[in-house]
Amino acid sequence: MAKEPARVLVTGAAGQIGYALVPMIARGIMLGVDQPVILHLLDIPPAAEALNGVKMELVDAAFPLLKGVVATTDVVEACTGVNIAVMVGGFPRKEGMERKDVMTKNVSIYKSQASALEKHAAPNCKVLVVANPANTNALILKEFAPSIPEKNITCLTRLDHNRALGQVSERLNVQVSDVKNVIIWGNHSSSQYPDVNHATVKTPSGEKCVRELVADDAWLNGEFISTVQQRGAAIIKARKLSSALSAASSACDHIRDWVLGTPEGTWVSMGVYSDGSYNVPSGLIFSFPVTCQNGEWKIVQGLSIDEFSRKKLDATADELSEEKALAYSCLS
Amino acid sequence: MAKNPVRVLVTGAAGQIGYAIVPMIARGVMLGPDQPVILHMLDIEPAAEALNGVKMELMDAAFPLLKGVVATTDAQEACKDVNIAVMVGGFPRKEGMERKDVMSKNVSIYKAQASALEKHAASDVKVLVVANPANTNALILKEYAPKIPEKNITCLTRLDHNRALGQISEKLNVHVGDVKNVIIWGNHSSTQYPDVNHATVTTSSGEKPVRELVANDQWLNTEFITTVQQRGAAIIKARKLSSALSAASSACDHIRDWVLGTPKGTWVSMGVYSDGSYGIQQGLIYSFPVTCDKGQWSIVQGLKIDDFSRGKLDATAKELIEEKTLAYSCLN
Repeated sequence: MAKEPARVLVTGAAGQIGYALVPMIARGIMLGVDQPVILHLLDIPPAAEALNGVKMELVDAAFPLLKGVVATTDVVEACTGVNIAVMVGGFPRKEGMERKDVMTKNVSIYKSQASALEKHAAPNCKVLVVANPANTNALILKEFAPSIPEKNITCLTRLDHNRALGQVSERLNVQVSDVKNVIIWGNHSSSQYPDVNHATVKTPSGEKCVRELVADDAWLNGEFISTVQQRGAAIIKARKLSSALSAASSACDHIRDWVLGTPEGTWVSMGVYSDGSYNVPSGLIFSFPVTCQNGEWKIVQGLSIDEFSRKKLDATADELSEEKALAYSCLS
Repeated sequence: MAKNPVRVLVTGAAGQIGYAIVPMIARGVMLGPDQPVILHMLDIEPAAEALNGVKMELMDAAFPLLKGVVATTDAQEACKDVNIAVMVGGFPRKEGMERKDVMSKNVSIYKAQASALEKHAASDVKVLVVANPANTNALILKEYAPKIPEKNITCLTRLDHNRALGQISEKLNVHVGDVKNVIIWGNHSSTQYPDVNHATVTTSSGEKPVRELVANDQWLNTEFITTVQQRGAAIIKARKLSSALSAASSACDHIRDWVLGTPKGTWVSMGVYSDGSYGIQQGLIYSFPVTCDKGQWSIVQGLKIDDFSRGKLDATAKELIEEKTLAYSCLN
């Protein structure tokens, strides 16, 4: 007997990431090939015609799993009854804009969308914030949607996590699916800390430590980290456009693992509401290593943090605390 | 035990349709979730940096099924050992260009690519031509790759087929997954004939003919037809860009059904080398209703063609004959 459809909201749906993401959702990549979906697509009025074009293409593709499309510029209609919300919409940084300007525009957006989600989404709606500054947008959303459980509000660092897996697999010339348990700590920004201290590679003679196999600490502590941190810029340089394909795919991974669970022995990275684990200040949306089961994430505890890592964790936490202060000042 | 990877070529891979299709292929939408793939991506020299950006994003997405990426501007390297070739690359029509100019540029491209495929692809390579004029590009490819079995060279009309399913499902307010056996006859152009005379809808009281349920022959013989024929233009009007999402998705459907077989009782539309069926001149690439089994398509025979339909089938065949003549004149 077929499952009831899940309602999935994508904001900023007329944009690049939205265009890559919606066919992935409609094919079951986000929630599984047996889970019918109804897509809710939201964008701003100037994008209404383009948004309708996306809806037309979704109809044209005749996706068996797609049981309906709501394409709207009305945030209430968009949020009504949604079980999953992927917040891609945000104000992009334009040339000449100061960080405070970008922050101001985005915190206003996330404050009002918080309100709409809280009032109209399904109870237990799971939220993934993608639009930058992702962690701080998610924090604002959380603060202004107090009846959404804080554990249901997350931000995307799975893209950075997947990028780190990719870099290690290229370095070692192994399949990316044989690499696991990297960690992205902190902010989805250039202060993120890609940590391989607990990462492993599946080899014919069992699981081996990445650090051992790479045998190049200088690279792992230097170039590897900056490559992952700055990968977004490298993509923009090559494509003349932001990452859409990989961001969309990683957003599907984030939700899928959250809802359907992580494989045994494997963790992933998610930006989640910090509870003081690893001496990270509580009350930030900070990326941690997590496992997922029964629709809930849990921070992996007890991993040893060396001195080098400690500094990195603290630096990205400091940046997040500064962003939080800036965001609040914008709202006052 | 894991299957051996299949090599899939996408030409024009740095463009919009390429960007939409490659993550679909990498997730198993084209060949099944248990079929590893190696992507070969080809584009022209001016797009080399953008193409590399796509390769970088494919790596960043850490797709478990994707066992390698070859991104190149060299046709020989691109074609080497490929099992599936999706020809998206072509010269787009620009403002002020005459039909003969577009045709001229594209037949040269398809003649050259025919040669590379014939020499370097796997001997049973399956080819899907997407770039317009799709039918005629496929015909040229066939003519200049005589070693590739003619049954292995097809063009995309599955997008039109899916669009027709979508229009019926909207008209009847049923789910698109319950509509089947429309037919797209002829050219992937505005002379295509979307035919519902044998189409059915799964209802709670069994399968019913579409014509009966719609109960509006006027609509089915006019507006429905023109809507499907002109849908590409409608998408461009709304999005300011060509269909990419739906074209990519339909290309996956075309290959998947060809390779893995059509469901029992269901046919699909494919542009294939005509053998005289339904009174259509041999030696054209013409869209027919087909079923697929064991990696081979076969034209559904014995369907009744009424007078109205006969006129439409002949008109689109006539256009294809004219295109063929024009194409050959360009090559001389």
